[in-house]
Amino acid sequence: MNQDIFATLCQLLEPFNSAKIALKPETDISADLNIDSVSVMDFVMEVEDHFDIEIPLNVLSETRSLADLVKVVEGRLAKV
Amino acid sequence: MHGTAIKGGLRQSASEFALSPTSHHNPVLAKVLGGFATLTAGLDYAARGVTGFNFYSSRGQLEHVLPYRELRLKALATARKLLSTGLKRGERVAVVAETSPDFMAVFFGCQYAGLVPCPMPYSMYIGGKNAYVSRIAGMLKTARASAVILPGDLVSHITEAARLADTAIVKTFEELAAMPESIEKLKPFDVDDVAYIQYSSGSTSSPKGVLITQKAIVANTRGILRDGLKITNEDRAFSWLPLYHDMGLVGFCLSPMMGQVTVDYLSTTSFARRPAMWLKLMSENRNTIAYSPSFGFDLAARRINGEAVTLDLTSWRVAGIGGDMVRADILNDFAEKLSVAGFDAKAFTPSYGMAESTLAITFADLSKPVKIDTVDRLHYKLAQRAVPASEQLKQSPERVRSFVVCGKPIAGHEIVIRDDRGADLGEREIGRILFKGPSLMDGYFENAEATQAIMTADGYMDTGDMGYWLDGEIVITGRAKDLILHNGRNIWPQDIEWAAEQIEPLRNGDAAAFAVEGEDGEDDVVVLVHCRLADAVEMEDLRRKVAAVVHQTAGIECAVILVAPKSLPFTSSGKLSRAGAKDGYLTGDIAEISPLARLPRSLDETRLAAAQ
Repeated sequence: MNQDIFATLCQLLEPFNSAKIALKPETDISADLNIDSVSVMDFVMEVEDHFDIEIPLNVLSETRSLADLVKVVEGRLAKV
Repeated sequence: MHGTAIKGGLRQSASEFALSPTSHHNPVLAKVLGGFATLTAGLDYAARGVTGFNFYSSRGQLEHVLPYRELRLKALATARKLLSTGLKRGERVAVVAETSPDFMAVFFGCQYAGLVPCPMPYSMYIGGKNAYVSRIAGMLKTARASAVILPGDLVSHITEAARLADTAIVKTFEELAAMPESIEKLKPFDVDDVAYIQYSSGSTSSPKGVLITQKAIVANTRGILRDGLKITNEDRAFSWLPLYHDMGLVGFCLSPMMGQVTVDYLSTTSFARRPAMWLKLMSENRNTIAYSPSFGFDLAARRINGEAVTLDLTSWRVAGIGGDMVRADILNDFAEKLSVAGFDAKAFTPSYGMAESTLAITFADLSKPVKIDTVDRLHYKLAQRAVPASEQLKQSPERVRSFVVCGKPIAGHEIVIRDDRGADLGEREIGRILFKGPSLMDGYFENAEATQAIMTADGYMDTGDMGYWLDGEIVITGRAKDLILHNGRNIWPQDIEWAAEQIEPLRNGDAAAFAVEGEDGEDDVVVLVHCRLADAVEMEDLRRKVAAVVHQTAGIECAVILVAPKSLPFTSSGKLSRAGAKDGYLTGDIAEISPLARLPRSLDETRLAAAQ
């Protein structure tokens, strides 16, 4: 797993992680953090803006853990 | 060689021309506000002018321009392509309703081919693939869809759903476009035919398709254009609403088309990502009409920040609110923040409707500010009467409730409000809202039982909503059914319960979901779950898993409360009593049993406040 991307994602996620749950690669974004769909979209937008990529809905629907999201970001960056 | 070079050069220069959106009015063609016999008759007329649909990207760039003239040509070609797949008249064609020219071409292509389009949702949550697949499969099954047409990025999702539902024809928009055109004579739907099936009603676990006829869509679009919005030549609409939802489809695709109104679209996903883009594009295009549930105004107002001053929203004359309970505090906040852009709070237009009535039932008077009725909470709760609160009482907010007045029914449509025994109620008496008129659906598709359950002997449909009369206008106070409202979406508690019960070791009847009113007036969702575990860590693991599956299914945050086995109340007929479960929870009779429980603070406080 790309540690740089993981670290950046953790940083971007911090403002949404109001319960201050420890972030690990296997952390399930919707389950462990219990943030609503609008906030998830806000977070995804931050990720898109930061890396200048687009993450389509169908890809998002198959993304569960932070490690999954790292892979998605890596893949999207490779396409640019 | 030479020719190729010239061709290449031409292509290059053509792409350098920036697209420009369709004009808002037809300089020659006379404006006709609905009343055409069918959707295709409406499109044939609109195609004689220059207005149409424009599609913007999430970054605000104009991506596609689809004048009604081109939409008609595309639809006619698509009709022939659909028929060449072997589809027979009256068969159902599911189509994923992304906000795009492709969706429009299939929807209207079906109208020309005599096929019944069923717009399917295009909405997913993070990690929510399985929930989406089973939702689509349920819809395909109940519609007995013969074909499903989809965007290429959903192939893996939809193929799986089609396999579960035995839907034979699965084609992407690109694959459909590559089909040959059948040469048989097109027989568009006629005045006595059906028009489409709408799936914004009913739960995921047992979806119900609302069957809308040509007569109903013609009547409703006419009412919207003439009575509700009073459309003129100067109007230009804007929408980010999903096209698989009645407010998006009927309000901002079919109605504008039937009135030759130009619409500028931002996809729902783009809006969710960049809510402020809505207002920026409206400012750029000087749009006059846009609708949103309360939460959309809230999102946009919170995101616009310092940019409000750069906008010009002076043209915005109808800022319609529908889809959930209208929140006066949100509207005030929006109006305050956007007043520097020239937004006029008088533009706010509460309205009321549902998919079963095609879309619209009532509209508030366009020329007047939003009317709020503040009533005595005690009378409201105990006597089912909306007694106006005295000025003194209004000083104590906990003793009053405020409701937004939603206006009068559109012409030719009738509302009655009745008590539990079916007697008509008068001014300020709270009862069930029933509806009758030409916009009424034909019924739930191939579900006579569900249709009969909401129809009265004298031909009214029970809306499931509660309300009262005030000077000839209706006021909605809540709902009789267990429906949960969240950000303009209807969420069925059955869906949440069903999802929770898929988690080991839970079984059928182990979960109860309901909403409690939070401090801000929004629904907070509570899920009570029977817990047979003894180990505290396992208990917390169960709570986490239930919260996760609810999130993936419904996209909402909820409070999962682990309760003692067999503590959920059931009715004598063996049905879960959600009202009983909620009462038990609020009074503390049914309570959390995990030693490690951390209740979200706001919910805990709500519970205490409501129990007092």
